[in-house]
Amino acid sequence: MTVEVQSKAKLSQLSSDKQLTFIKLAVLSMAAILSFATRLFSVLRFESVIHEFDPYFNYRTTRFLTEEGFYQFHNWFDDRAWYPLGRIIGGTIYPGLMVTSATLYNIMQFLNITIDIRNVCVFLAPFFSSLTTIVTYLLTKELKDEGAGLVAAAMIAIVPGYISRSVAGSYDNEGIAIFCMLLTYYFWIKAVNTGTILWATMTALAYFYMVSSWGGYVFLINLIPLHVLALMLLGRFSARVYVAYSTLYCVGTILSMQISFVGFQPVQSSEHMLALGTFGLCQLYAFTQYLREHLSPANFELLFKALLTTLLATLGTALVVLTVTGKISPWTGRFYSLLDPSYAKNHIPIIASVSEHQPTSWSSFYFDLQVLVFLFPAGLYFCFTKLTDANIFIILYGVLSIYFAGVMVRLMLVLAPVMCVVSGVAASSLLSLHVKDIEPKVEKHDKKKKHENNFVFRSEVGALFVCVLGCLLVSYVFHCTWVTSEAYSSPSIVLSARAHDGARIIFDDFREAYTWLKMNTPQDAKVMSWWDYGYQITAMANRTVIVDNNTWNNTHISRVGQAMASSEEHAYEIMRELDVDYVLVIFGGLVGYSSDDINKFLWMVRIGGSTERGAHIREADYYTGAGEFRVDAHGSPTLLNCLMYKMSYYKFGLVYTEGGRPPGYDRVRGAEIGNKDFNLDVLEEAYTTEHWLVRIYKVKPLPNRGL
Amino acid sequence: MMPAMAKIQVLVLLLLYIAIQCGSLNVDTISSDIKIKNVDRSIDISSQLVKITSKVTLENTGKVPVKNFLLSVEGGAKSNLAFISAKDQNNKDLRLVETTVKGYDQVKFWRVELKEAINVASTAIIGTESVYTKALQPFPTAITQQEDQLVKYNGNLYFYSPYPVVSQKTNVVLNTKSVESFTKIKPFSQQDGTIAYGSYSNISPFTEKELNIHYKNNSPFLTVTRLARLIEVSHWGNIAIEETVEIEHTGAKLKGPFSRYDYQQDHHSGPASVRSYKTFLPASASDVYYRDTNGNISTSNMKVKKDSVELDLRPRYPLFGGWRSHYTLGYNVPSYEYLYHSGNEYLLKMRAVDHVFDDMQVDELVTKIILPEGSTNIVVNFPFTVTRLSDSLHYTYLDTKGRPVITFTKQNVVENHIQDFQIRYTFPRLLMLQEPLLVVGFLYTLFLCVIIYVRLDFSIHKPEHQHKD
Amino acid sequence: MSLEIESMVRYASPINPAVFPHLTMLLLGIGIFFTAWFFVYEVTSTKSSRDLFKELLLSLVAALFSGFGILFLLLWVGIYV
Repeated sequence: MTVEVQSKAKLSQLSSDKQLTFIKLAVLSMAAILSFATRLFSVLRFESVIHEFDPYFNYRTTRFLTEEGFYQFHNWFDDRAWYPLGRIIGGTIYPGLMVTSATLYNIMQFLNITIDIRNVCVFLAPFFSSLTTIVTYLLTKELKDEGAGLVAAAMIAIVPGYISRSVAGSYDNEGIAIFCMLLTYYFWIKAVNTGTILWATMTALAYFYMVSSWGGYVFLINLIPLHVLALMLLGRFSARVYVAYSTLYCVGTILSMQISFVGFQPVQSSEHMLALGTFGLCQLYAFTQYLREHLSPANFELLFKALLTTLLATLGTALVVLTVTGKISPWTGRFYSLLDPSYAKNHIPIIASVSEHQPTSWSSFYFDLQVLVFLFPAGLYFCFTKLTDANIFIILYGVLSIYFAGVMVRLMLVLAPVMCVVSGVAASSLLSLHVKDIEPKVEKHDKKKKHENNFVFRSEVGALFVCVLGCLLVSYVFHCTWVTSEAYSSPSIVLSARAHDGARIIFDDFREAYTWLKMNTPQDAKVMSWWDYGYQITAMANRTVIVDNNTWNNTHISRVGQAMASSEEHAYEIMRELDVDYVLVIFGGLVGYSSDDINKFLWMVRIGGSTERGAHIREADYYTGAGEFRVDAHGSPTLLNCLMYKMSYYKFGLVYTEGGRPPGYDRVRGAEIGNKDFNLDVLEEAYTTEHWLVRIYKVKPLPNRGL
Repeated sequence: MMPAMAKIQVLVLLLLYIAIQCGSLNVDTISSDIKIKNVDRSIDISSQLVKITSKVTLENTGKVPVKNFLLSVEGGAKSNLAFISAKDQNNKDLRLVETTVKGYDQVKFWRVELKEAINVASTAIIGTESVYTKALQPFPTAITQQEDQLVKYNGNLYFYSPYPVVSQKTNVVLNTKSVESFTKIKPFSQQDGTIAYGSYSNISPFTEKELNIHYKNNSPFLTVTRLARLIEVSHWGNIAIEETVEIEHTGAKLKGPFSRYDYQQDHHSGPASVRSYKTFLPASASDVYYRDTNGNISTSNMKVKKDSVELDLRPRYPLFGGWRSHYTLGYNVPSYEYLYHSGNEYLLKMRAVDHVFDDMQVDELVTKIILPEGSTNIVVNFPFTVTRLSDSLHYTYLDTKGRPVITFTKQNVVENHIQDFQIRYTFPRLLMLQEPLLVVGFLYTLFLCVIIYVRLDFSIHKPEHQHKD
Repeated sequence: MSLEIESMVRYASPINPAVFPHLTMLLLGIGIFFTAWFFVYEVTSTKSSRDLFKELLLSLVAALFSGFGILFLLLWVGIYV
């Protein structure tokens, strides 16, 4: 009889075990598939196309890598950008993204899966989001349990803050960097929990991958030392942490220096000094521990004090000397703007002009994270109630990234994963707390013990709570899907609008213009445009540009800004100096596309006027007497006669754009343009796209003598 | 075994090729028995091509029946000649063989082999058709956006023949009344877009007299500089066709600026430019795509008609003189339209080149045919002389040893070349199972790896207390 | 080789392309079911309770159905192999 019962119990246990495994597998694989699928809106609506600006550069470099091989890529000097300076691409990019997709591409080619490199690039980010989902599960599992892991995985699959950078076609470093970051964290937690060199080395490898793919690795290499420091302060520093961190720092730093763009920064720049300092501190700490064991307390005290003073003094002088001599690079603008949100705006116009470097507004937290914003504090609470080494890490990560996300919109991306992890912990803890209440069976066993705890309606309250949380989660799903579909899935290279009869109109003007440039201009033509379009022009039109989105040379960009902001004669000199053949402007006045060059024009003026040679360009000249920026008849004459104005509005004064409005009515600015009747002396219209979105002008050669 | 077969095949092809080459080095003589009684010639220069159709009445003045005669083309025009054919009274195509005649090295000759010999003192009416590309020169060579395109035609006023011509008439079709200038040799008359010359009588052999016409021609001057046609046969019931087209407007170049305002305001602006053109696909074509290296081109319309699918293709930008464009057009057709079989023997009968636009001229055509993996005994039959390039292998989804690829190329192709080629090959049907079994095998290996993996134990330290009940 | 076109018949796919979607769904569905079964079995069974024959059988069935399912999926989406 006993045997039978036992086997039966075993069977039921086994089958429930099986069910559990099955459910876990199913939930995790469904979350992974969902995270891939939800990023495909733009592919389904438009086509498999690369989005935005930076991805076009990445796409171009990836194509180069697959065609020419790694060594050519590494030594690549690009003469198509920053004419006449050029750019050493191999040494100024993080190659992780390109190498990843080229490797995937080559593997698939080897298996005779003939997928286009463009499609590999388009679907790379969704693919890596699937992997991120799985890593998030593993990470949260290490922090709490499998249930929390599944919730966190499901949450990160659709969190808009992450989707915004990883939809299909958004082929950017961040797409894989988040995966690398979470992988590093997972291995780090593993290393701290086990204290083995294996996991620490894995952490270093993951860290190397992270360094090779995104500049945001700086966040990571500051967070981990911070964790170690926190553990030290809390008296939790142990041999495990010592092994993990020492291994990670040594191997990770040496590996990271192999990336030529990073070079010697890990031992020179101030952004990496925390890691170095912590490493030293670790050694000292361990050494003192060792000494303490072998010396008498009095001797130890003396030695300790003496050592400490000398060490601090040497370190301090060394730091000062190195900074003064320039061995340690000064704190860069981007880093300052992290600490002081107003720094960039006041000092570097080129950084301030990028919209993603702006401080985050409160609404965008809700927009990008929705219910996670409320679950996050609860999750932190649950982390604090059961403090472990891993929990301290996640608390640090959460708090720090909240601060950084508040400074810069872009860093919302770093915040989103930790929000999901912590909220996953919260949701899972809350649910498991209250689901227990609903089931009367559980209470039966120890009814007597918990009698005093057992108030009436316990199961009802539990059920209500579970319902509320369920509703919240469901609303989260709807919100995420809506945000993804509405806000983050437009490729921005193809625009679409609804006509009055509901039909979809497609504005494909950008590709029209780039293809025109590619097919109908000389191979070596130099195209001047504002830097936003540099990457797209080199990638799609394959022509040399003066400036592009890699804004490394402020004076060069400033020169272009000066040309755009000057009068025709003055601009002609600059264009001759820069050897420009064609000028490209974006103009949205006909169809009402608001992010065109006229709306960006004030940045051109500011950046143009920020250098010595552009001192004659003053922002105030472009405003009206009342301090307004207007393009109509009241606008300032300097504005109405500058090159950008003329190129945008050439012959526009004849066009009727809206019924009941005079000709030359600008639909973006909502005004009739002020200067309608003018001719271009030094330029001629080479091409204007169907909806006038892109206008290309040819720079006329110098007139013949004697004419 | 396989390579041996292939070698023999190559050898046979080589022999055939040599035989054809020898055939073209034929030497003929001009028979003095033949006289041309009458020629009715029409020169159509209303499009970018020059299409000459003539009705030639041959007379046998000799003593023996004539079985063949010679067609000739002026030395100056032979490089422009894209296509030539001859038909007899019953509208049956006659065989043309390239040949040479001693003493006339500059002139290009064809020997036309008649189906029925012309008896002594009787006549036969032969229709010939020839198409010349790039024979119309834009003059002036560059025009502004608003101007009309003027072109010059430079031809022969007389029917160029190795035989004396008793009487001949020529009609030049222009489809326009605005003619700047034209050769005036009486008798001639001009009306409604045509100029009629003749009749002229008793013109001796090989007479050339310059015929110049300078007139307005705004028809699209589009040249396909390279057309790569890819045909991929799948035995799962589909033939995929992809055409990569490089196109250029070879009319008068655009001078000065392009004004979008004028182009949008006035529909007559840019008379010589090409906004769109029509491509006809087979009626069964489906899944059509139209894109270039930067992605889809969203401006095109598709109309399904009874006997064809009409595509109204708009390039991303209007094409002015000297502007170039590039695109890829692809579609699927079901295999039963073009593939025939009997047991394991298959025959593919498809167009070597298809319609791109009306009156098209293609500088270079490269057609590639990808047959299913495992096809053997491939024999190809071309409708016209082409240069066959070396065969290669193509690797794509689920391939192991590659699919055989047949490639051929031809210069100077026009619409008259839209003809079928035939490919015969052997394909064992059981090979179709290879692809799914490959996937099954791969998956099974994966599962086997899992089975082996769970049996492996890497731990150095054995757990001490086993589960004991 | 000398067969004339008149004596040949038009070649159509052995399986009507219209049923590709249904075949895909059916075969892949069964395939995924068996794959899941296989993996759950592999994960939950212990060394003692494992049956090699059952494993091999399960994986074979899973591979067969998934393999053909994937083939028809490819054909359905337009990759004519």
